[in-house]
Amino acid sequence: MSNSFIFRLFRLIILLVVQVLILNHLHLLGYATPLIIGYMLTCFRSGTSRISLLLWGFVTGVLFDMFTNTSGIGAASCTLLAMIQPSLLQLFIPRDAPDEFEPTLANMGPGRFFSYILIAMFVLHSAFYFLDAFSLSDWLLTLVAVFGGSVLSAVIILFVELLTRRRIR
Amino acid sequence: MRSLIDFLRKYLYWLVFLVLETISLVTLFHAGGYQESAYLTTANTVVGSVYSFTSSVASYLDLQTVNCQLEADNEELRKRVGALEGKLLDMGTDSADISRIVPPEYKFVSAHVVNATLHRNNNLITIDKGEADGIRPEMGVVCSRGVVGVVYLTSAHYSVVIPLLNLSSKVSCRLRGSEHFGTMQWRRGAVDISYVAGVPRHAKVKRGEMVETNGFSDIFPPGIPIGRVADFGDSADGMSYMLRVHLFTDFKTLRNVSVITNYSKPERRELEYKADSLMMN
Repeated sequence: MSNSFIFRLFRLIILLVVQVLILNHLHLLGYATPLIIGYMLTCFRSGTSRISLLLWGFVTGVLFDMFTNTSGIGAASCTLLAMIQPSLLQLFIPRDAPDEFEPTLANMGPGRFFSYILIAMFVLHSAFYFLDAFSLSDWLLTLVAVFGGSVLSAVIILFVELLTRRRIR
Repeated sequence: MRSLIDFLRKYLYWLVFLVLETISLVTLFHAGGYQESAYLTTANTVVGSVYSFTSSVASYLDLQTVNCQLEADNEELRKRVGALEGKLLDMGTDSADISRIVPPEYKFVSAHVVNATLHRNNNLITIDKGEADGIRPEMGVVCSRGVVGVVYLTSAHYSVVIPLLNLSSKVSCRLRGSEHFGTMQWRRGAVDISYVAGVPRHAKVKRGEMVETNGFSDIFPPGIPIGRVADFGDSADGMSYMLRVHLFTDFKTLRNVSVITNYSKPERRELEYKADSLMMN
């Protein structure tokens, strides 16, 4: 247990560093910033305790907020992603999969994996940017940010999977 | 009873979810007055030092731009020195009024920008000086080009500044050489354009005219440049002009700023606050 805890903590720190130092400076089409930090939550295998998943989501969001001055927005949207992740993963698990299914590119195949990540990223970015633009009538910019950000982060995550997990299995 | 406990155990995560979301949303909607939760922002010491480190590395990357800017500033200052010296000569020995032209002595604390956002609704800038250097909330922040913003939160060694590029930033300003004033408010979009509302229609506005602070608030002394009028038209209600202003400060390459630490007068603020609360009753 403690082993996987340390592994997750390590992954959280790496993702946070990449997010804060590199991706937060990226503004596709002027506004779309990819929130790679959500990869943290899509990696959880099926059958993980939902409460621990929610707590990981919340902590991820709060840490993200501290670095970007988005008080509460990141926490709220990451917690939302953590809430729907198990149900979303259920949709993409092959029928003959084991109880503890790990959602990786190798396990799911490129098509399923990309759809899974894309939907997860779409949920995260929608929550984040609509909360951010709460009092604003500028729907078009928000939509650009949501779609651009989700697609870009899904592509980046696909590449990360390709580079880091190829040799395993 | 047994099944009730089972039920609760099964759906406990819903409760956890609702609690966590509530905490997040309460933080979000109370963000306006979160003086006490500065540790959840980039004013936090750990976060601040991470940003100072990366910004000290990154600052080497755009030294060239900064140098160009400094050269341009020097040029401008040299020109102004020349012009002022000329004026001084013109006035001859009898220059008792010179103190009216030269601004009084303000105390500046210079600081480096360690983190800044440009593409959000409510952009914030983090600088590497804080309470230990005499910085308090509500102090004005300027750079060599003009106004940057107002200090919002402070910790011991870092401060968060609300720049002009923030939907909640409001700066009282006037056209140089006239007493017509308006309020500058940013709109999401360009990072070098802001808008001034409330300039009366009888004011003679020209393109290219300079917009500067007017000293009505106790944050900025009067006469600090903000930008140039790029365009103007009627405001939505048709009662006044709406000016589109090209800002002098280049927020994209902003590194060195100064905080004005001795302009704010608690006595004045207290008096105005008192007057406000009396009017309320």
